[in-house]
Amino acid sequence: MPGRELVSKVPVEPPPPHEATGRKTLIRAVANSVIGLTAFLVTCIGLRAILPFPEIDGGVSQKFRFFAAHKDEFDTLFIGSSRIYFQISPAIFDRVTGESGLPTHSFNFGIGGMYLPETAYLLEQILNLKPRNLRRVFIEYDELQTKWSPENQTSRRALYWADWKRVSLLLRKLTDTGAAPFWLPNPTTLRDIVLHHKDEKSTRRLLTFYAGQFEKNYTNVARATDVADYFLSRDTKERSASYLGAASDGYVTRPNRMSPGQVAAYERSLATATAQARTRPLSPYAVEAYRQCAQEVRNVGAVPIFLITPSMTQIDVAAETTGLPGVVMAFNDPRAYPNLFRAGVRRDGQHLTKSGAEEFTRIAAANFVELARAGDIR
Amino acid sequence: MSFVEFRFLWFFLLVFIVYWTMRNNAARKLWLLLCSYAFYAAWNWKFAFLLLGSTTVDYIVGQLLGRTESTAWRRLWIAASVCVNLGVLGFFKYFNFFISSASGFLAWIGLPASVNTLNIILPVGISFYTFHSMSYTIDVYRRKQPPISSFTDLALFVSFFPPLVAGPIVRAVYFLPQLISPKKFSNVDVRGAVMLFLAGFIKKACIADGVAPTVDRYFAHPANFTPTSAWIGVLFYAIQIYCDFSGYTDMAIAAARLLGYQLPNNFQFPYFARNVSDFWRRWHISLSSWLRDYLYIPLGGNRGSRGFAYRNVMITMLLGGLWHGAAWTFVVWGALHGTALLIHREWIRLTEGLKWAGHAMRWLAWPITIYAVCVAWIFFRAHDLNTAGTILKQFTLFHGGGDQHFHRWLLLLVGALALIHWLNSRRWFAESWRHWPAPIFAAAYGCTFAVVLLFVPPHYTPFIYFQF
Repeated sequence: MPGRELVSKVPVEPPPPHEATGRKTLIRAVANSVIGLTAFLVTCIGLRAILPFPEIDGGVSQKFRFFAAHKDEFDTLFIGSSRIYFQISPAIFDRVTGESGLPTHSFNFGIGGMYLPETAYLLEQILNLKPRNLRRVFIEYDELQTKWSPENQTSRRALYWADWKRVSLLLRKLTDTGAAPFWLPNPTTLRDIVLHHKDEKSTRRLLTFYAGQFEKNYTNVARATDVADYFLSRDTKERSASYLGAASDGYVTRPNRMSPGQVAAYERSLATATAQARTRPLSPYAVEAYRQCAQEVRNVGAVPIFLITPSMTQIDVAAETTGLPGVVMAFNDPRAYPNLFRAGVRRDGQHLTKSGAEEFTRIAAANFVELARAGDIR
Repeated sequence: MSFVEFRFLWFFLLVFIVYWTMRNNAARKLWLLLCSYAFYAAWNWKFAFLLLGSTTVDYIVGQLLGRTESTAWRRLWIAASVCVNLGVLGFFKYFNFFISSASGFLAWIGLPASVNTLNIILPVGISFYTFHSMSYTIDVYRRKQPPISSFTDLALFVSFFPPLVAGPIVRAVYFLPQLISPKKFSNVDVRGAVMLFLAGFIKKACIADGVAPTVDRYFAHPANFTPTSAWIGVLFYAIQIYCDFSGYTDMAIAAARLLGYQLPNNFQFPYFARNVSDFWRRWHISLSSWLRDYLYIPLGGNRGSRGFAYRNVMITMLLGGLWHGAAWTFVVWGALHGTALLIHREWIRLTEGLKWAGHAMRWLAWPITIYAVCVAWIFFRAHDLNTAGTILKQFTLFHGGGDQHFHRWLLLLVGALALIHWLNSRRWFAESWRHWPAPIFAAAYGCTFAVVLLFVPPHYTPFIYFQF
C-alpha cells in the first residue's frame, strides 16, 4: 500500500485552523462579554434615570415629596438627624425672626438616625429641586461616622445615599488615606486593617460593606418596590402627617422625660463632659463632606450655616477649630447655655423635651438674627 | 464571600480570566487551588489550615492504602482517616451539643452535673468538605479509586471553591478524573452556564431572600400568629429553603462549568415527589446518595430481615438529620423522614396488587408527600422543640396562636411560584435563547440581570446551608 505509506510520512503540523478557531473564540467571547456588560450598565443607568425617588422609611420620602411640592415656599431649611428633627420648631423660629424684623419661612428636614453621608446626599437631592427662594440652610454638625454595624444596616435607608461622593469619603476615612488624590493609605493603618489589629478589627468588613452598598445603589438593588409604591400611591395622609408634624413644617415633638435614675446618670455624665476641654476638631473627611455641602448650597444662591446642637456627644467640640466652611452656631457649651442642659428639659443626653426644643429654637433664632444683623451670615 | 455578593463577581472574573489565559493544565490547577483557599480564607483564614490538615491526612492515608495489600493495615488506615475526619467534624460541630445534651440528661435523671461548653466557631462548609475528603479515602479503600499521587490535585478536589461551602457533595471518583485532561474553553457551554447562574441567582437573591423576612417573623414568635399565617410561614419556609439551597447549587454548578468542570446535580424538582423515597431521590441528591453508598449500604442496606433494613433506614436518616446541625430539632427532622420512609415501604408492601390503593394514590400521593415534607420542615427551621410543637399544633390542627396575621394574598404568591416551578418541570420555558446570535444573547443577558437586581432585597441573607 504505497499510498498509505506516503500519507503516513506526511509531516504532521500543528493544525492552524484550530489555532485560528481558538483565537476567534476568545475574541468573540471578549466582544460578547463587553456587549453584555455594556447592556447591563446601560440598563442600570436607564432604570436609575426613570425610577422615582426611592421609598425610604423614617419619613425621608414623605418629607422629600412634601418639600418638592412646596419647594418655593421655604427660604430656610434645617437638615440633620433627630437632634434637628425633634428640636427645631420652624413655627417658633419663624415667629422669633419675624418679630425681629427678619422674617423667614422655614422647614425642618431632620430625620431620625440620619448621619452625615445621608444628610449630604439628601441635601444634594433637595438642592437639585432648585428651590427658588431658598436663602439659608442650617446643617447639623456631625462627625463622619464610619463604624456602624453592617448587621443593622439592612433596609434601603442604608443604601440610597451610597453614591461615590459619599462612599469615597467613607472609604478614605476607613483607610486613612487623607486628601491625597491617589488614595495612598497610611501603611500602619493598612497593616492593621489586613491583620485585624487594634481599632481596625472591623474595618475590612466595613470597607466591603460600603463598597457593596455603592454597587447595590448604582445597580438599583431593591428598587422594584419603588415602582409599585409610585403607582399605588401608598403615602397616606396619616402617614405623611406623622412625619411632617401638626404644622406640616417637618417638626415633630417628643414629650417624654427622663426617669429619676436616668436623670442621675445624665447629671454625672454632664459633669464629666463639662469638665473636659472643648478641643475636638472635625476630621478632614467630615470637613470635606461639609465643604461639598456648602458649595452646593452656595450654588443655588443660599448660605450654609452649621449648627452644633446641645448634645452630650458634642460638648467636647471646639466650635472655633471645627474647620467648617461657613458660619458656625454652637450650642454645645453647658456653661454658656445652662438652660439647654438642665435635666428637666432633656429626654436623654442627645435630645431635648418639647419645652427644651422650643427654648433651643428660640435661642437659635435669636442667635441667627444677631449674626444676620452683624453681617456675619453671608 | 457569597455567590450573590458583588465581590464574588469580581473574584470570579479574576479567577476566570487568569485561568483561561493560562495554557498549562498544572498551572491552571494550581491557580484554582490558590483561589479556592483564598475564597475559603475570606471567611476565616485560620480555618484554611483545618482544610489543609484534613486534605493532608487523607492524602497520606490514600498513599498508605495504595502501598499495602494487607486487609488489616488497610482497615487500620481507613479507620484512621474516618476517625480524624469525623473527629474534627465532631469537635467543631457537635462537641457543645453532646456536652449540653449529656448535661441535660443527667439533670433529668436527677444527677445534675456542672459542665462547661466551649466557645467553638463552626468552620464554614466543614460538613461538606469533610464528606468530599472522606469519599476519597473510602473509595481508595474500596479500590474504586486509585490513590492519587499529586497532592495539589487532591487539595483542589477537596477545596474547589464552587461546591466548597454548601455543596453539592462531590465524590473523588466523580471529580478527580476531570483533573487529568486539560480543559478547552471552546468545550465550555458558556450560555448554559451563565443562564444556570442567573436562574440560581433569581432563586436565591430574589425568591429565597424575598420570603425570608416573613419566615423569620413567623418563626421568631409563632404563638402570636393565626393558623392561616402558620401555613403561610411554613410554606414560605419550604420555598425559601428550596430556592436558597438549589439556588446556591445552580450557581456552584454554573461557576464550575465556566471553569470547565462538571458537578453533580443536586435537585430534581423535589416538591413534585409523589412519596418520601422519591423526595430523597430529588432533594440534596449528592447527600442522599452519599449516605446511601457510604452509610446505608455498609450498614447492611436492604439485606437481611425487614426489621434490619428498617433499622438501617432509621440510622441513616437520624445521622443525616444530625449532619445538618447539632440540635435535637434536626434529629427529629431526620427521624420524621425515616419514619415516613418506613411508612411508605410498608404501604407499598401491604397494598401491592390492590387497585384501589393505586387509584387513591394517584390523587393523594403528592399532597400527602408535600404535607409530610412541610411538617418535617417545621422541625428543621424551629429554634427548639417547644417552638416546633407550637407550630405543629397550628399547622396540623389549626389550633392555638394569636391574632397577628399575614396578608392572605401571600398564599397566591405560593401558588404563583408553584405554577412557575411546575411549568419549568414540564420544560415549558423553551431554551430558544440557545439559538440567538451571541451578541443578542449577551445584550439580553446584561439587560435581564440589571432588571433582576431590582427585585433583590437590600441586604444579603446568608445561605441557609452555610451553617451546616
